[in-house]
Amino acid sequence: MPVPTTGHTVESLTTWLGERIALYLKRQPAEIDPTVPLAEYGLDSVAAFSLCGDIEEDFDFILEPTAAWDYPTVQALAEHLIKEFDAAKGGAA
Amino acid sequence: MLIGTAPQGAPARPAGVPGQEERVAARVAELEHKLGDPTDETNEVSYTRLLQDDEAGEISAAGERILDAAVLNADFVPRAEGGRLERIDTLVRVMRSVFRRDVTLGLGYGVTSFMAGVNVWTEGDADQRARFARILLDGGKVSVAYHELAHGNDFVRNEFEARPSVDGGYLLNGEKQVINNADRAAAWVLFGRTNPAPGSRSHSVFFAERAGLDASTYRVLPRYDAVGVRGCHLSGLHFDNTPLPDTALVGELGKGVELALRAFQITRSAVPGMALGATDTSLRTVVRFALGRQLYRKSVMDIPHAKATLSAAFLDLLICDSLSLAATRAVHLLPEETSVYAAATKYLVPKLLTEAMHELSIVLGARFYVREGEFGIFQKHIRDLPVLSLGHAGSAACQATIIPQLPRLARRAWFSDDPAPAALFRLRDDLDEIPFADLTLASGRDRLSASLIAAIDELPSGTPEERTVHAIALKMMDELRRLQEAGSSLAPEDRTALASPATFALADRYTVLLAAASVIGVWQQARTAEDPFLADPAWAAAALHRLARRLGQNPPDLPAAAEARVHDEVLRRFHDRTSYDLYDAPLAG
Ligand SMILES: Cc1cc2nc3c(=O)[nH]c(=O)nc-3n(C[C@H](O)[C@H](O)[C@H](O)COP(=O)(O)OP(=O)(O)OC[C@H]3O[C@@H](n4cnc5c(N)ncnc54)[C@H](O)[C@@H]3O)c2cc1C
Repeated sequence: MPVPTTGHTVESLTTWLGERIALYLKRQPAEIDPTVPLAEYGLDSVAAFSLCGDIEEDFDFILEPTAAWDYPTVQALAEHLIKEFDAAKGGAA
Repeated sequence: MLIGTAPQGAPARPAGVPGQEERVAARVAELEHKLGDPTDETNEVSYTRLLQDDEAGEISAAGERILDAAVLNADFVPRAEGGRLERIDTLVRVMRSVFRRDVTLGLGYGVTSFMAGVNVWTEGDADQRARFARILLDGGKVSVAYHELAHGNDFVRNEFEARPSVDGGYLLNGEKQVINNADRAAAWVLFGRTNPAPGSRSHSVFFAERAGLDASTYRVLPRYDAVGVRGCHLSGLHFDNTPLPDTALVGELGKGVELALRAFQITRSAVPGMALGATDTSLRTVVRFALGRQLYRKSVMDIPHAKATLSAAFLDLLICDSLSLAATRAVHLLPEETSVYAAATKYLVPKLLTEAMHELSIVLGARFYVREGEFGIFQKHIRDLPVLSLGHAGSAACQATIIPQLPRLARRAWFSDDPAPAALFRLRDDLDEIPFADLTLASGRDRLSASLIAAIDELPSGTPEERTVHAIALKMMDELRRLQEAGSSLAPEDRTALASPATFALADRYTVLLAAASVIGVWQQARTAEDPFLADPAWAAAALHRLARRLGQNPPDLPAAAEARVHDEVLRRFHDRTSYDLYDAPLAG
């Protein structure tokens, strides 16, 4: 069930991303440091596409498949997502 | 919409000007003529000679001379750059003539340069494209040097370094291993780390011409000995602070992973279909054996199990060729969807061909174990073929490319996309040039499987064979529905390379379904074409029957007449010396 792209913060997205990546990697969310590149945890380049697919599914928001390459940490990606969500809102208004 | 009614053929063009189909047919005929009958002992590229070269660990010098004289390298260079490359499916047909005789020549003479080339055609600037074209058109070779033993398919962790230098340019440091033609190539396309940070934006692609390099700073490593393709020059490269000019960078700095994953969609779609030629020869070899060998006062061909095995191998070749056709034409027609089709082809075609070879080896019996003589080429092909699934993205890595895309396909594509254009399945129709720039990493669309769904309402059901096709198409639709359910509920931990084996099995089933969609598409379009065998539903029914059984579906019995039709065609093509693929092309032997 998609959730609206409004009302998110970098913190809430950081939590969402951390939990999702922990699931991919079969780890605990607490083990995912938001400042450590995802590749360090063994997330391969193609798997990063899954993340974009999941973002699309949960937020109903289409992201470039390479977003997780260009914003390679949880934190960078959360900040990027907030910007993208805001831009989309601005565009829709 | 009724597709499949217009006659096949190239669009109108001024009389006397050969079109794409005439060009490729003439090129295949030329190569067949120049390479000659491989069963003729006096031919310098006979199977016997090729086996001797293989025993000696050498690539056939005579073969290379003939291919040089035919300027086969031109077939890897786009027409816009002065070569002959216009379509990927037609390149596959041309290369099949080489692979029919020798996988070593296929890879070692040509495919390696083509693999290197797609990088430069995709992202190289005009000067790089012109320089690359010049090397090939002058008869030179280019290596594709991506692999490092330490990292295998996990190439994003490759360490070989191309460090941006303070004085401009780059400094190469480190090793590339198991690289075809590394010792004799005029240039190497190198995949190097340009940033120490982990991740997928830390590598870049370089086109390094040997002539411009400081020879005191690099060396070629000793050759590897392998089980198959023993004549290929597999070695490595060691660099020690080798300067490379700025102009060697292909595409953008840091975008090497993206370039590789895009450009290699072309080669992953193409190479399995080329290697199909080796299985064609293997089938032909076993047919010769089965017709000649007398047992129980009959020929082996009269033993129902042997006969069925040969028909099955022929059907597998048609299945592989259908998927290969759809994937290679998709590069032109559906470039944004090619990432999935290329991975499916690279996964399934080598697997089906290898399994077919194994089944054929059972009919060949003890002769399969003999390294020389009339049937010796069989054991060589059976040793050479696995390189297909090992090199250039292994089978599991191809499945792992498909897996992350399944949830999105399940949600967005299946049962909602429009069908592919009919041209995807039309063997001899012209295509526009290769849209290198349109290849994308992942798209979330799938018009190939949509064609299968659309076909269900269009397929005829007059004859028993037609009813079999239709019944299996319905089963395949159910399969897609199950895939959709499973794909849309994949747990997060099943969406990466660490996914469960069951998820890899899902990817496998999906590739089989894509093969079925391709078979149906090819038959639908061939129904009105000239080739009476392809127009006949017998082969489609029999091919789909194999795919359905592979998926554990319980298809209706195949009409006996369909089996007989396929068997007769195996014999006819053997006696007429035509190819065991979709094209029924005349062969030199
Ligand atoms: C004859 C030959 C010629 C070659 N020529 C060249 C050349 O010219 N240029 C070049 O760059 N390279 C070349 N190579 C190297 C080739 O590309 C590599 O061998 C190959 O890509 C990596 O294979 P690997 O078996 O080492 O894989 P590894 O990555 O070590 O794989 C081992 C196993 O791990 C599993 N695995 C790996 N990745 C995944 C994944 N993503 N998901 C799930 N499971 C996975 C699979 O079970 C796989 O079989 C050549 C190799 C051969 C044999």
